[in-house]
Amino acid sequence: MDIMEKLKVLADAAKYDVACTSSGSNRAAKRGALGSAVACGICHSFTADGRCISLLKVLLTNICIYDCQYCCNRRSNDVPRAAFAPDEVAELTMRFYQRNYIEGLFLSSAVYKSPDYTMELLIQTLRIVREKYRFNGYIHIKAIPGADNALIRQAGMLADRISTNIELPSRESLMQFAPEKTKQDILAPMKTVKHGIIQNKNELTLYRHAPKFAPAGQSTQLIVGASPESDSKIVTLAEGLYNKFSLKRVFYSAYIPVGQNPLLPTATPPLRREHRLYQADFLLRLYGFTAGELFSHPDENLSLDMDPKCHWAIQNLDKFPVEVNTAEYTMLLRVPGIGQVCAQKIVAARRVGKLDFDDLKKMRVVLKRAKYFLTCNGKAFGRFLLAPEVLKLRLREDSAGSDYTQMNLFDTAPVALPAPVALPAPVALPAPAALPSPSGAASW
Amino acid sequence: MVGEAHREAAVLFDGSFDGFLSVIYAVYYEKIMPLSIQVEAQAQLSLDFEPYTISTDNEKSAKVLKAIREKISEEASVSVYYAFLAAEDSRFMAILHFIRLGFKIGHMVSSHLQEDYVREVIRMERYVGREAHLLYGFCRFAETRQGAYYCPVTPKNDVLPLLANHFSQRLMNQAWVIHDKKRGQAAIYDGNSYIIAEVPKDAEVLYADGEDETQELWVTFFNTLAIETRKNKKLQRQMLPLYFRGNMTEFAKIGDRL
Repeated sequence: MDIMEKLKVLADAAKYDVACTSSGSNRAAKRGALGSAVACGICHSFTADGRCISLLKVLLTNICIYDCQYCCNRRSNDVPRAAFAPDEVAELTMRFYQRNYIEGLFLSSAVYKSPDYTMELLIQTLRIVREKYRFNGYIHIKAIPGADNALIRQAGMLADRISTNIELPSRESLMQFAPEKTKQDILAPMKTVKHGIIQNKNELTLYRHAPKFAPAGQSTQLIVGASPESDSKIVTLAEGLYNKFSLKRVFYSAYIPVGQNPLLPTATPPLRREHRLYQADFLLRLYGFTAGELFSHPDENLSLDMDPKCHWAIQNLDKFPVEVNTAEYTMLLRVPGIGQVCAQKIVAARRVGKLDFDDLKKMRVVLKRAKYFLTCNGKAFGRFLLAPEVLKLRLREDSAGSDYTQMNLFDTAPVALPAPVALPAPVALPAPAALPSPSGAASW
Repeated sequence: MVGEAHREAAVLFDGSFDGFLSVIYAVYYEKIMPLSIQVEAQAQLSLDFEPYTISTDNEKSAKVLKAIREKISEEASVSVYYAFLAAEDSRFMAILHFIRLGFKIGHMVSSHLQEDYVREVIRMERYVGREAHLLYGFCRFAETRQGAYYCPVTPKNDVLPLLANHFSQRLMNQAWVIHDKKRGQAAIYDGNSYIIAEVPKDAEVLYADGEDETQELWVTFFNTLAIETRKNKKLQRQMLPLYFRGNMTEFAKIGDRL
């Protein structure tokens, strides 16, 4: 099999792993070595599905001893199999990097022979890339569940980021769809990496030039919609991972039907649900929210009609309106439609003068949603603030005008989803046509 | 703002950053009040005001840059340089007013987003910075017969100096040329340092043997990665606007590839 064939098979087998960030690591270029890493990460291209390509994401091999039902590389699946020689991956990485196609390497693998054997192959490949070719760019490597701790630590010394995919968000689903993997197998490498990072931090304070261990931290991936867990369970799990394992990111991947198990859904991937989970995830990591605030019930799902921040704001109208000129930064962040950049702009600008809605517009603060929750110098955007029921209608995303393909999610209710009882029911509300037009302050 | 002794003039300069800083110097030390600032070679003059050419003086420009750094802030000097690289004709006057306000009120100038000129400068800075950042990823190099790597770009703003700086770090060990086909300039790096020089807008490049194979591998990788059931061309276009694609290997028509 020539390298072109192998690349095709092994890139195809790796593409369901959604993580492709190259951020979190800053490494200056060195004479005699190739490449550098920048903390903000750089996207090098975007595929036809709109996802970024930043790393050469391939499997070392897709020959697997496991038979996980949700995975396209499971032992029982009839797909072409291939394996790279470590040197082939290394050379390919260099050729791509020299042409600025990629930001680095993302190396993963199916479990070949045994977890330890596979992990050793991965480490061998990284050694060639780092030592023989003196590659100084970004490397993301997978920890194989069940591999020895010592091997995980070695991998962490060579890579920028190391990740272990949890995939199924509960012990029960794992037993059902991936009986050969245990929760323990998956969490053990995460613990090792976490301790490695803490230990490395201490070393670095003592010795400034101590070698770095996984400087871009660790991440994981959860499959959404393959098993019946609710959004609330998933977000709570993510929160736990951020707090207990200090993960840098949790990625969510809408389940794409590649399995044949009758218990797995066959519907199109729940992309909008995935999108809402990412929004909730950002609220946890960057906006100071807790999972408890986003859900009032453990079996609840995120609203598909409305983003989680809007949803929270409507449930907590007593905290609004927020006065632009005096509110705390943390409270500004909680206003729907205001992100970190806007909140920072507002905080900087109000130091040197009072702000009104015109100023906000000029500063390009998007008021589409924010206007319902803000006052400037005590004045609301319209003449008065809206009643909650009207607000709910105004803030619903118009699914007719949107480009999402998930409009019929409830018609073709996936088997695995819990009954949509906990979702807000828009049926009780008057039809939008009966309400004043949503644009223009004059009609308020 | 205009003192009695200020002389109003339509100012012309040579288009370089040092030239522009020399204009700022003249505003303070020759009491010139520019009504417009234009690049001499492309100037459109009005009959109402006499044109006044200010020549570039590196000593003066260094003084101005130092003053901006020390009396306003390091951050403001970056804003000024990035905004200078923007494509808009109005940038020179906006930067002038930004600097004048900066010398008056100091480092807080960047917070005065209520002021039109400050907002304009910050907006242009972000626009230039964003285009440069995107090109850090979207630049595509190809190996030439001489062993150097060639990369054509056609950016909206004059981001060539920023690209040259980035790639002189990242691709430190290989010779490369980044060719701005729109402005007829190229950054040429020999493995140690780079220069920016005027070159023809079109240049014939001979590629190394085996280059087509590497390109084919990349295009295969790129096409394999898309997931059919998630297809979203609109999102792709939002993240990677069409105007970048003309220079990118993976979007070249099959016949155009090497």
